[in-house]
Amino acid sequence: MRKLLRKYPVLGYYFNKVFTYFVTIFGALTITFFMFRLIPSNPIQNWVMSLERQYSVTIEGGDAMINRYKEQFGLTGTLWDQYVGYLRQLILKGDLGPSFIAFPTPVQDLMIAAIPWTIALLSVSIIISWSLGLLIGSTAAWFRDKSVSDIITNVSIGLSQVPSYLIALFLVLFLGYQWKLLPTRGAFDAQYQIGWNLDFIRSVIAHSFLPALAIVMVSLSGWILSTRSLVISNIGEDYLIYAEAKGLKPRKIMIGYALRNAMLPQATGLALTMGSMVSGQLLIESMFVYPGLGQVMSRAIAIFDYNTMMGIIILSVVSVMTASLIVDLLLPAIDPRIRTAIKA
Amino acid sequence: MNSQAITQPNAQMLLDIKDLRIWYRTTRGNAQAVDGVDLVINRNEIFGLAGESGCGKTTLARGVLGMTKLPGYVESGEAIYYHPVSDSSVVGRDLLTLPAREMRQMRWRHIAYVPQGAMNVLSPVLRIEKQILDAIYEHSDLSKEEARARMFECMEMVGLDRTVARMYPHELSGGMKQRVTIAAAISLKPGLIIADEPTTALDVNVQQVILQELKDIAASLGVTLIYVTHDMAVHAEMADRLGIMYSGLIVEVASVVEAFKEPLHPYSQGLIASIPMIGGDRSRMVGIPGNAPSPLAWPSGCRFHPRCPKVMEICRDKVPPMLEVAPGRFVACHLYPTPMSGAAPASEELN
Repeated sequence: MRKLLRKYPVLGYYFNKVFTYFVTIFGALTITFFMFRLIPSNPIQNWVMSLERQYSVTIEGGDAMINRYKEQFGLTGTLWDQYVGYLRQLILKGDLGPSFIAFPTPVQDLMIAAIPWTIALLSVSIIISWSLGLLIGSTAAWFRDKSVSDIITNVSIGLSQVPSYLIALFLVLFLGYQWKLLPTRGAFDAQYQIGWNLDFIRSVIAHSFLPALAIVMVSLSGWILSTRSLVISNIGEDYLIYAEAKGLKPRKIMIGYALRNAMLPQATGLALTMGSMVSGQLLIESMFVYPGLGQVMSRAIAIFDYNTMMGIIILSVVSVMTASLIVDLLLPAIDPRIRTAIKA
Repeated sequence: MNSQAITQPNAQMLLDIKDLRIWYRTTRGNAQAVDGVDLVINRNEIFGLAGESGCGKTTLARGVLGMTKLPGYVESGEAIYYHPVSDSSVVGRDLLTLPAREMRQMRWRHIAYVPQGAMNVLSPVLRIEKQILDAIYEHSDLSKEEARARMFECMEMVGLDRTVARMYPHELSGGMKQRVTIAAAISLKPGLIIADEPTTALDVNVQQVILQELKDIAASLGVTLIYVTHDMAVHAEMADRLGIMYSGLIVEVASVVEAFKEPLHPYSQGLIASIPMIGGDRSRMVGIPGNAPSPLAWPSGCRFHPRCPKVMEICRDKVPPMLEVAPGRFVACHLYPTPMSGAAPASEELN
């Protein structure tokens, strides 16, 4: 073992990162579990009470019913028992418990149905907005003396302050209702058969266009502004002046030198954003009635569905952590300085 | 085309700078960093450019490369570079009015640059070979193999091992990085290399070795070198001719031997008197009294007059013209109104 470590010092670095990964996930899981249990609200009680109110009856044996449900939801015993029970169920069976919003469907089934929609929508829009942001941001930095740069910068600052739902509302209003260019609800037309056929795929793309546009418009300004400031802070650097003295083409200096050096933090940022995307875009998914995780989450919050909320939060913790683990493991490949630091 | 033939006054001339003024716009007026420089650089010489911090050395060097950056701008002047286009004809082009694209093509191909502070001039995320090769590809039609061969040849000339090519800048010492910049500068065999304080950040023994290498390379490749530094000891070592700059102007030009043996301008005298002598009499260091003037408002008349030990009435009002007081010796000082005959006015005795 020690011999191996001496031969490949990078292994120690990897081991360290993976270990931290598991410890952090476990910690986050524990904290969220207890946080939810500390909130003085009980979904079952609420549900039974709302039933009673709705039909203005008193449910006979209501207490017995509540207790039976409590058992199913893992809400009996001391807090510690509940915690151990939850962990055992999760780790041994991969079971997150029954959901309340679609009882008795287990949380994991709900999530598995929603994940593909969210990932497809968000990964595409995040990558588009990241690449556009890098391109526009570095252009704005490069021509910082020109008025083009001022326009880009000010519009971005303005847009970055507009709430996402407002942008989504305007898109729905104009592109959806006023001009009737694009569908505004759901993920596909019900008339098509789900599968790999052209009509269905076309329908999916048409339906995802507006939510994707909304997400790109909301997040683009952030990428533009951060790229711009990263590249600008590089502009005084000696290596850019030197590259210019070498008589390289301006575009080459901008991409090969200025952007290449500003890329490192942006690549990390992309990975982290990708990790956080599984929690979905709550507002945008609700606005467009998109069947992704964000919508599941907002339904769960509305009736305080412990298990579903826990499930989605755990998933997003795990995916953010996984994304940052991947970045950590890849960084030695992107940044040569880290390789040397590890060796030393 | 801007490169209409400008007839070359003499075949030795490589760069002819005429009344160059490079100013910086500031909120308090124009900072006249370079303000009326006249200078001729000859072929195959090492020209030392000396002067204290802030006198405009770096602005001048960057200006000649056409890399004056806002808020700096070229107020007026010419910098005509003569380069052969065939065996018999030479074309002179004004570097300051060349279109950006043509100026970019001039760089490295004809005028290379060895920068100040080699510590940060190489991009930290690119391999050394990439940073040398990209300039070679940009300015020549060499194939990949030929370019690499050229790179290794140049690296060998500065004493760098081939393995350095695959390394990253942080894996090199300061001296090695400086050698990389020299290897890169000579990779296209340019006519002129402008070296701006390249060895200032290095320790003295490394500095010594690199200076010697640079000098040998300049001689063997037939490259003209403009060497900018405030370090007079380096000039004594390197230069053939010396130009002394003060407050945006060249005040004296002479061969390095003459400049050290018998400096004419009172500022040059002060500069050279301030070099400690090994084995000389123990005496207090002599400095030049006062501070360098602000480029926002140069003193009237001779810009050195407020600090000059030999100041006269005329110095306060009248700008001294640059005169050739002896063959190849130029000085701008009212002490020397006419070509000298015989002995120079009293100056410090030098070993």
